[in-house]
Amino acid sequence: MNCEAKGVMRRRVDVWSGVTGIAFALLLVLLIIPLGRLLWASLLGDDGGFTLKYYREFLAYPYYSRTIGHSFLVSGLVTLCALVVAIPVAFLIARVDIPGKTVLKSLAILPLVSPPFIGAYSWILLFGRAGYITTLLQKAGITIPTVYGMHGIVLALGLNLYPFVLLMVAGALQALDQSLEEAAQGLGSSPWRVFWTVTVPVTMPSTLGGAMLVFLTAFAEFGAPMIIGEGYQVLPTIVYSLFVNEMGGNPAMASTGATLLVLCTTGILLVQYWVVGRKRYAMTQLRPIPPVRPGPLLRGLLTTYGYLVVVLSLVPALVVAVTSFFESRGPVLYPNFSLGNYQEVLFNVPRAIANSFVLSTASTLLDVVLGTLIAYLVVRRRSAITAALDSCVMIPYAIPGTVVGVAYIVAFNKPPIVLTGTFLILLLAYFIRRLPYSVRAGSAILHQIDPSVEEASISLGVSPLRSFAKVTARLMLPGIVSGGILTWVQTITEISATIFLYFGAWSTITVVIYRQVSSSNFGSAAAASTILLVAVFIPILLVNWAMGERAVTAV
Amino acid sequence: MGTTLIIENVRKRYAEVEALADVSLQIQAGEFFTLLGPSGCGKTTLLRCVAGFLRLDAGRILCNGERLDTLPAHTRDIGMVFQNYAIFPHLTVFENVSYGLRARRVAPEELRRRTVEALRLVQMESLADRRPDQLSGGQQQRVALARAMAIRPRLLLMDEPLSNLDAKLRVEMRTEIRRLQKELGITTIYVTHDQEEALAISERLAVMNAGRVEQVGSPWDVYLAPRSAFVAQFIGASNALTGTLVGTEGDWAQVQIGAWVLRGRGIHGLSARALVVFRPESLELLSEGGDCPGATVGEGVVVNREFLGAILRYRLRLVDGSLIHLDEHKPDPASLRKEGERVRFAVRPGDVMLFPAESSP
Repeated sequence: MNCEAKGVMRRRVDVWSGVTGIAFALLLVLLIIPLGRLLWASLLGDDGGFTLKYYREFLAYPYYSRTIGHSFLVSGLVTLCALVVAIPVAFLIARVDIPGKTVLKSLAILPLVSPPFIGAYSWILLFGRAGYITTLLQKAGITIPTVYGMHGIVLALGLNLYPFVLLMVAGALQALDQSLEEAAQGLGSSPWRVFWTVTVPVTMPSTLGGAMLVFLTAFAEFGAPMIIGEGYQVLPTIVYSLFVNEMGGNPAMASTGATLLVLCTTGILLVQYWVVGRKRYAMTQLRPIPPVRPGPLLRGLLTTYGYLVVVLSLVPALVVAVTSFFESRGPVLYPNFSLGNYQEVLFNVPRAIANSFVLSTASTLLDVVLGTLIAYLVVRRRSAITAALDSCVMIPYAIPGTVVGVAYIVAFNKPPIVLTGTFLILLLAYFIRRLPYSVRAGSAILHQIDPSVEEASISLGVSPLRSFAKVTARLMLPGIVSGGILTWVQTITEISATIFLYFGAWSTITVVIYRQVSSSNFGSAAAASTILLVAVFIPILLVNWAMGERAVTAV
Repeated sequence: MGTTLIIENVRKRYAEVEALADVSLQIQAGEFFTLLGPSGCGKTTLLRCVAGFLRLDAGRILCNGERLDTLPAHTRDIGMVFQNYAIFPHLTVFENVSYGLRARRVAPEELRRRTVEALRLVQMESLADRRPDQLSGGQQQRVALARAMAIRPRLLLMDEPLSNLDAKLRVEMRTEIRRLQKELGITTIYVTHDQEEALAISERLAVMNAGRVEQVGSPWDVYLAPRSAFVAQFIGASNALTGTLVGTEGDWAQVQIGAWVLRGRGIHGLSARALVVFRPESLELLSEGGDCPGATVGEGVVVNREFLGAILRYRLRLVDGSLIHLDEHKPDPASLRKEGERVRFAVRPGDVMLFPAESSP
């Protein structure tokens, strides 16, 4: 059927050619040109000639070069943490009869959408220099090492990102058919051997997929290392430091760092494709494996463990929420109930909160509209051109926000296109960063819709374009909406590009949180964080409730 | 007053494959016409060309004498029933069936009347308010049919409409489809790969292979007088053996297979090698020393036998080693032949079809 779908309106220049043109033009202006400018800026000497001196400098000075090692080390440790924490819980959810699995799974999604810098901030509230627990222990005469630095980053990110592994492994385990393991047992394998020779290999692609996702996300993360890393710099934070220090001067070093960063993430993605690649086992599941029901003691222990992990990962959100109602004076918090922090936030930065909502809503709408159209082109009108579009539209997936931030400043701060200092630069950065997710969400649902449904509408006398709107687009709606909500959530929590691009009046709630934390205004930071978390958790829980498990795997 | 459809020298090529190589057909007003062939033979491609989902590379399609192939699909006024029904899952049965009428801006009262009428035709009026996911496969099929008929199309196209139903329902539905089509007198093109279905339902059919029409005719024609080896083997069960031509006389020819010489209807273009095709039911087992005047007698050894209820199917190995099927009707348990037993059988020359050997598929 695939090759047949394209024939209908081939010869005419139609709406779809227009959409293709617009999509390519947007990708060119909003992605290719800025990235080209970024590369150019890193290669342009003071004399206007080509030079590699910034790269030499970056790699020669340990102050810069070690950040590459730091990034890999931190991401590796975060991945390890995520695997260790998530795999047992995944087995619990998939294989053991424990109470409240659905709740457990829903809760496990929440860390994924809560921004890591709020997590980092919350661990500082607990274990920082003046942290609740630090102070408590000090009173008891115990000194503990501070949470700042590498282990702080690993703690914050590990507990933030483990659900990627959890969901993918649990999904793979639940997709296993009972007969597979029975067949192995029937062939004379002990349960232990079955586990190692069947269960592990078959779920390995999902495990690796989850692990690579964690690695990549950790590598590109800016907010958490910035807040909790202190002296421990990773690539995204050094790029920011270089950029801030040289504001107004030559941003060449920042561009160099950003280029190196994007080279690393692209490399990681290529490795991911190579490792995980096409290696998925297609499984026709007839009977899922029934969960085992262990004895009451073991069951209690396992249940406790599962909930402990998930609750632990939600501690940051709880701590922040509680703190937001404390009285505060700078970094000092008094455990008396007060709405002062909210008052302060709502009176001082109402604009930033409004900006966040307006910008993420607007960019999400743009993403959803263009993403849906592109998904349709890519799935239903296959050609060399739409295949190229499909690849191009996925590029932003490999580009960390930090890189987008630097690239946009470099590209759009002088003619022909000047956008710096406007809201447009934020809007476009958000839009382009999340476009791949909308396209993915759209094409995922489109693959489930039979092309002949649209043809039926056409043959009944409705024009192709109206048939698309009345039938296909309508049937895509559930996928589009849940994809849109995920996009919205990811956008409103964006900090890594925003921190470069916001300007004066166009500050956002994430910038406010970051600045309040930096200047030790812990009370208002907590209030702003709580507002953001509530804004993010509610739609996600709604989507999860409405869509079941499918919504999450699209993240 | 039905619609005539003329398909003239239609060609369609996909990147590598010639899907339709110069296809011409004439379909009479009110006729039930079937495109029959194996998957990939071009039958669905041709149907989609008529529907307007594919553009022709060359040729024309005329509907009542007017060009059809140049019209956009949505203006062709053709009812189509899809293999997977393509019911709109977000609309009720009533909304599905009235969809095309709504697009034609039919006045509300008439829309209601015609929708109900279409639903009554397929005996679905009581389920008008159901959602598609509450319907069985057969019911969805009926909705698809009603939806296509409600617009009173010039032409009804059906793309393997029964292939997703179970065997019993399939037989029921095909009778139903034929009854409706007759009742409405609507010119219908029906696509299927199921030769039994095609024989049962069609007034005329075109057997297609590799983008070409092999033969057009009534079900009797294509079964009894196949014009190519492909048709002979695709329609019904067949034994096909290769032999050497040893003599001809008028329409008859003699062919030698191993030591066995048999007579058959010789078709033009026979050369030294000939493909010999005869149907299992045209063979008759002979009793010990028995004879059958006018028929060719052959010999073989029983390899195995399958009891299929109405018939008993023997697999025989001929002297030259080739295997053939022989069907015995109303099998008698008293006269069973054992495995390994040597048997003699007769075949009438009129039941033996000869084709040039190189045209064997």
